[in-house]
Amino acid sequence: MISKYTGISPRGDLLLLQKLGKKLNKKSFLHINSTKAGGGVAEILQRMIPILNDLGINTRWEVIEGDDKFFDITKKIHNAIQGNPEKITKDMWDHHYEINKMNAGRLDLEANAVLIHDPQPAPLIKFRKKGKWIWRCHIDVSNPVKEVCDYLMRYCSKYNAAVFSVSKFARAMAINEFIIPPSIDPLSEKNRDLTAEEIGETMEKLKIPADRPMILQVSRFDRFKDPVGVIEAYKTVKKYNDCILVLAGSPATDDPEGEIVLNEVKEYAADDPDIHILLLPPFSDKDINALQRAAAVILQKSVKEGFGLTVSEAMWKGKPVIGGAVGGIPLQIVHGVTGFLVHSVEGAAFRIRQFLNNPDMAIRMGEKGRDYVRNNFLITRQTRDYLSVWYSIENKGKDVLEL
Amino acid sequence: MAEVTKDFEFKQCVSILKSTGKKAGNLRELREAIAAVSDEAIFHHTYQYFLKGHILEYTNDFAHWAGESLEERALAERLSGIDPYDFGSIGELRNGLLRTIDDYMEKFPEPREALAGDEFYFNQTITLTFPVGIRAQNLAEFLIAIKYIDAGSIYYHFYEARVRLRSGIDDFSAWIQDALLKKDLADRIRSIDPFMHSVEGIREHIIEAVEERVKTDMEAVRQ
Repeated sequence: MISKYTGISPRGDLLLLQKLGKKLNKKSFLHINSTKAGGGVAEILQRMIPILNDLGINTRWEVIEGDDKFFDITKKIHNAIQGNPEKITKDMWDHHYEINKMNAGRLDLEANAVLIHDPQPAPLIKFRKKGKWIWRCHIDVSNPVKEVCDYLMRYCSKYNAAVFSVSKFARAMAINEFIIPPSIDPLSEKNRDLTAEEIGETMEKLKIPADRPMILQVSRFDRFKDPVGVIEAYKTVKKYNDCILVLAGSPATDDPEGEIVLNEVKEYAADDPDIHILLLPPFSDKDINALQRAAAVILQKSVKEGFGLTVSEAMWKGKPVIGGAVGGIPLQIVHGVTGFLVHSVEGAAFRIRQFLNNPDMAIRMGEKGRDYVRNNFLITRQTRDYLSVWYSIENKGKDVLEL
Repeated sequence: MAEVTKDFEFKQCVSILKSTGKKAGNLRELREAIAAVSDEAIFHHTYQYFLKGHILEYTNDFAHWAGESLEERALAERLSGIDPYDFGSIGELRNGLLRTIDDYMEKFPEPREALAGDEFYFNQTITLTFPVGIRAQNLAEFLIAIKYIDAGSIYYHFYEARVRLRSGIDDFSAWIQDALLKKDLADRIRSIDPFMHSVEGIREHIIEAVEERVKTDMEAVRQ
């Protein structure tokens, strides 16, 4: 398994993974989250668990179960942590705890290290049997509803350590807090190399012409991704360079505005035959991969963003990338080195034109971007970081650890 | 640490980021935090800046933040001029940073606030070091290794060694002088200014110097 990453991931990361695997050999590692499929956390766990087992660490992945009321409450907690005004009553917190208590009776919580993902299963810490417990927060907690966050922290502060994706998501807590960005798997269907035939098949199936450069944005039809701004930028570029625009995504089903945004986008695109709005079904990973590989320039013109891993996906394909300077995008795009950061429609249009008119620059930045992702945003790095955190907790107090 | 023996054993370090929980929203807060945070946090935001792999306009995180988030360009330039390798200890470096900020605040006492979410977040690291399983017995082997080794290994031996050994000397030139007895080449490698290059730039300069010497040595054998 790990050998499949040879020549793809940095050698140092693979070596460290093997060394940590030896140090933690035969120990047990338990991951718990709230969904087996759907969303970035489940996506990366599906890929990471086999790697951990291959390294000699006995790794299990468990999912907590709950009723509709529980998931309704945890959705509200999630939104409040991200800053949306929500009130969580005492009764709701009690239900959150009770469902976790029920899961604690159902699940085997014995392990040398336990990684609890996000707020849904956070109360499980109350049922710790042994081992090191780490709370992994994938969401933006930089501006939460205070009362909700304070209540949740009653659980989180009982852990041995917490892990956040970005420095600014970390909070002043009394426990060790580590920063581990998310990652992409270079071998998954969404990111693996494709043959020219495979790319051609997708283009034909989706009826995308290959005769002119393609500008692409892959994202949900959500105002935060600014699809209308992308069309405005394209319309400016079109006055100077013949090109096509592809907006690929799915309507945001959990967002009542999703349909409205999609209609706005369609209306704004009007009858321009060179704008292709694609509504892709779930599990369209290979088609998204092919579209990214066929594109000339890839945009992620978000005005609000979590980490924005689609940026790393595009960079991994060696493409010149333009992103909004929000959320985790500036951590991936080093402005002028691995792509361009923009703050406006005009900025996006200008950078698209720059890339279309300077293919050498586009290639150079694309290569730098791929290298940057290789060194910073691959799954092997994230796995390495999780094991390093575990190992450092076992060796408490040391800032330098020799393996 | 790399022992000075006949072989050069390549090692590497990997750093895991740890939050201190401290942040600064303006220059005054940055000053107070720099005065109070751990040596490890100062080390991370200055010496470890070179791990980023691309030298842009700045040479440490404080200068970067002053320039990009506070738009205090003059201060950013002055902070960028602080070469951490000029200081004998983290404490001295910390004082150097504080002096520069204090001087600036005397002239421009009105603190400018960073936008929400754009504050300076103080981090430190936990570093894991390990041998990478590559050894060089002579200069030719060293040349091949240095061409292909991970950048993290060059960082460990060229940058981190200066602080680790407190001697200000990198592992490469130490081995070349002590084990290979090539003082002139060691001096040439020592003359590469760590402050002026990215890790990849350092790699190129070392390759150039070593390659030249390998060529000269091979020609000398033929005569």
